[in-house]
Amino acid sequence: MANQLLEVKGLDVSYGDVQALWDVSIQVEEGTIVALVGANGAGKTTLLKAISGLIHAKKGEIVLSGESLNNLKPQEIVDRGITHVPEGRRLFASLTIMENLRLGAYIPRTRPLFTESLERVFTLFPVLKNRSNQKAGTLSGGEQQMLAIGRALMAHPKLIMLDEPSLGLSPILVKTIFQLISILNEQKATILLVEQNVNQALKIAHQAYVLKNGKTVMCGKGCDLLADEEVCKAYIGERGSKR
Amino acid sequence: MKDKIYTYLKTDKRNISIIIIALVVIVFGALPFYSDADSFFAYYLFLVFIYIILAQGWNLVAGYTGQISLGTHAFFALGAYTTAIIWLHDVTKTWYYFDPLVMIISGIVPAIFAIIIGIPLLSRLRGDYFSFGTLAAAEVLRILILRGGKFTEGAMGLRLPAEGFTNMEIYYWTALFLAILVTAVVYFLIRSRIGLALRALSEDELSAASHGINILQYKVLAFAIGSFIMGLCGSLFAYYLFIVSPPAVMNLNWMFLPILICVLGGNGTILGPIIGAFVVGALFSYGDVFVGQIHPMLSGIIIILVMKFMPTGIMGLKDRISPHR
Amino acid sequence: MGDIGLISQVVVNGILFGSMYGIAAIGLSLIFGTMRIVFIAQGSVIVLTSYFCFWLFSLLGIDPYLSLIPVLLVSLLLGAAFYYGLFREAAALKDRIGSLLIAVGLMFFLENFMTVVWTPNPRAVVTSYGFTTFQILGVQLTLTRLIGLLIAVLAAVAVSMFLKKTLIGTAVRATSEDVEASTLMGINPDWVNIVTFAIGIGLAGIAGVTLATTYSFDPVYGFEFALKALIALTLGGIGRVYAALWGGIILGLIELLGTFFVGAGWAQGIVFMIFLLAMTFRPYGIFGGAGDKV
Repeated sequence: MANQLLEVKGLDVSYGDVQALWDVSIQVEEGTIVALVGANGAGKTTLLKAISGLIHAKKGEIVLSGESLNNLKPQEIVDRGITHVPEGRRLFASLTIMENLRLGAYIPRTRPLFTESLERVFTLFPVLKNRSNQKAGTLSGGEQQMLAIGRALMAHPKLIMLDEPSLGLSPILVKTIFQLISILNEQKATILLVEQNVNQALKIAHQAYVLKNGKTVMCGKGCDLLADEEVCKAYIGERGSKR
Repeated sequence: MKDKIYTYLKTDKRNISIIIIALVVIVFGALPFYSDADSFFAYYLFLVFIYIILAQGWNLVAGYTGQISLGTHAFFALGAYTTAIIWLHDVTKTWYYFDPLVMIISGIVPAIFAIIIGIPLLSRLRGDYFSFGTLAAAEVLRILILRGGKFTEGAMGLRLPAEGFTNMEIYYWTALFLAILVTAVVYFLIRSRIGLALRALSEDELSAASHGINILQYKVLAFAIGSFIMGLCGSLFAYYLFIVSPPAVMNLNWMFLPILICVLGGNGTILGPIIGAFVVGALFSYGDVFVGQIHPMLSGIIIILVMKFMPTGIMGLKDRISPHR
Repeated sequence: MGDIGLISQVVVNGILFGSMYGIAAIGLSLIFGTMRIVFIAQGSVIVLTSYFCFWLFSLLGIDPYLSLIPVLLVSLLLGAAFYYGLFREAAALKDRIGSLLIAVGLMFFLENFMTVVWTPNPRAVVTSYGFTTFQILGVQLTLTRLIGLLIAVLAAVAVSMFLKKTLIGTAVRATSEDVEASTLMGINPDWVNIVTFAIGIGLAGIAGVTLATTYSFDPVYGFEFALKALIALTLGGIGRVYAALWGGIILGLIELLGTFFVGAGWAQGIVFMIFLLAMTFRPYGIFGGAGDKV
C-alpha cells in the first residue's frame, strides 16, 4: 500500500452562518490522481480552500504526511508542500510569465531549486519559454492554464490541487490539459483534481469522490465510478461514458 | 399564552421608553430652573445638543447609506453663512433670533448644495472616492467663501449684532428642542418606508436595486436631509457665536467631530450619536478647561483606539456583552 | 520677452514643487495598492519629518542633505511601527472605512501634537549655500530646489527598481493585485505590508526633507499637502510609480501656473475642481486604463 499523503477527516466548513461542508472525509495516496466531482455549489472548491488554508474549518482535521494543517495560514501550508491552483487560475496579470514563475518559487526552500524547476516547467510548456517576458494577462486561456500549473510546479510541491483546470478551454485544449495531468502523475506528482468535466476526470483518476450539497456521497476507483449507472445518469448523461 | 405575554411585554417596553424619554426631556428642559443656565455645565449641555444635531445628520448619511461624508463642515458653514447673510441683508425683516423661517432656509441652502454635488458624486463614486469627493467639494466651497468679497467678507467673516443676546436660557432650550426634534425626525424617518429603502440600500445595493429601489434617488435624498440637518445646526451655532467666518464654522473640527461622535457612540443607531455626543462634548468642554491644549490630540487618539478595539462603538459593546437572541 | 522668462520660471518651479507631491503620492499609491488604506495622514507625517530635519539642523547643525539618512531611517521604522500598531487589523479585515478613520485620527493627533510641542509658527531650513542660483536658458534655478528635484527623481527610480527587480518588490506588486493568490504562493501578506508601509513613510521622510529645504511649513500644513498628494495620485493613477510622480508634477504645474495667472485663492479652487472632474470621469488616472483597479 502506498503512503497516505493527505487525509481530511470529518470536515465542517461554513461561510459565516451558512454551512458549506458537512463531515467531509477524503484520502489522497501518494503518487495518485484523486478527483473530486459534483454539481456546481457542491462544495468542491470550498474543500480545496479549506485544505490550502484560505478558509478555516469549524470542525475536523486536515493531515499532511502525519502533520496537522489545521489553523495554519495559506503561506505556511504552501511551505509544507501543498500548492493550490485556484478556480480561474488567479494569475498575476500585470506581471510577466517569468515573474509569475519566480513568485511560484517564493518559499525559501524552493529557491535553490529554482533553475531546475524552471527547466522542468519550460520543458513541459515550451510556449512559456518563448514568451517569458510577456505579461500574463495577455496570454490565451490555454496558455494561462499552463502558466498556472507551471507556477504551481515551481514550489516543488508534494501535492498539487487543481480547481477546474479545463474551465473555459476548447475541447482540444481540454484534452491537452488532461494529458498533461497524466504526464505529471507519471513524473510522480500527486494530484487532487476538482472538475466539472466528470468524464475526463474519472478516466484519469485512480480514486474519486462525489460531492453533493457539501457531503461526500460516493467514493471509489475512477473507472468504477465511471461505469456506475447513477454517476452516469447524474453527471455524464444517459448515453454513458463517451469517447 | 406565551405569545400574549410577549406582546404585552413589548408594548410595555415601548411605554417604558416613552416614559424615560419624557423624564429626560423634563430633567434637561427644567435645568435652567433648578440650576444656573449660565453655568459651565449648561454650556456643556448646549454643546452636547449641538453635537447631537450634527451627529444625527451625519449618521443618517453614513450609518444608513454607508457613505462616509467628509464635507460636514461645508454644510454646517453654509447654514451659518445663510443665517448671517439673511440677517445682515435684512431679507426676512425679522429681528429676533431663531426665526424658524431663517433656520429652515439655512437648512435648505446646504441641502440644495448637497443635491448639486450629490448627484454626480453618488452616481459615480464609491467609498473612499466619494469621501474625497465631498472633501474636495467642501474645499471648493471654502475658496468660494474666501473669495466672496463683500458678501462673505472673506477670511474675516460676518458679524451678527450681539445686542439681541440676553441670556443663555433661550439658546439652551432651542438647542434642546432641536436636538430632540432632529432625533425624532431621524427616528421616524428610519422607520418609514424611506428608512426601509435606505437600510436595504446600505446592506445590499444590488439586491435593493433589483427590487425596484432607485438607488441614486434615495442616496441623494439621505444626503440632502443630512445636509439640511447640518445646516440647521450651523444656523443655531451662528446665532450663538455671532461671528461667521471660515476658521469659526468651517474648520476641520466640524468635519471630524460627527465622525468621532458616531464612531464612539455606535454607527447606525439612534442612541449612538447621543451617547457619543455626551462623551465628546465633555472632552471638548471640560477637556479644554482641565487638559487645555492637549484635548484635540486626545480626540485623535480616541478615534484610533475606538476603531481598533471597539469598532462598533459603545452601542456595539452592549451587543458584545449580551448578544441578542 | 520677460513674460516668457517669467512663465518658464513658474513652470520650472511647478515641476520642482510637483515632484514633492509626486513622492508623497508614490507612498500613498503603494500603501493603497497593497492594503487598500488611504493614508491621509501622509501629509502630516511629511511635516513631522520636516520638523526632524529642521531640528537636526537648528539644534545640531547637521546639514539637511546629510540628515536625509537618519530621517530616512527613522521614517522607515516609523512606517513599520504605524503598520504594526495601527493598521494591521484593519488591513487584514480589508476595512476601508476603519482604516480611513484611523488615518484621520492619526492626522489629527500629529497636527495637534506638533502645534502644542513646536508652536504654530512656520519653519524652514535655510542653509548658507541654499540660495545659490544657476542660470540656465534664462531661467533661475535655486540650488535647494534643484537638489530637491534630484532627490525626488532618485527616490522614484529607487522605488521603481525595487518593485521591478527584487523578489520582495515583485511580491509587493503581486499582493497589490491579488492578496489571496499571493498567499497561495507562500507570500506572507503581513510581511509585504510592513515593507510597503515602511517604504511609504520612507518616501514621506524624503519629501519632508525636500519640503523643509525648499519651502516653509507649519503643523497644519499636513492636511493640505495630503489632499494635494491624493489629487496627484488621482491624476496619475494607482499602481505605477512614475505615473504618480508625473501626476504630482502636473499638479504642481497647474497649481503654480494657476497662481500666476489667476491668483493663489482661485488656483486652489481650480485644483480641487480638476480633482473632482478627474475623479468623476477618469478615476483610473490620466495614464490609467480601464482595466486598472480603482
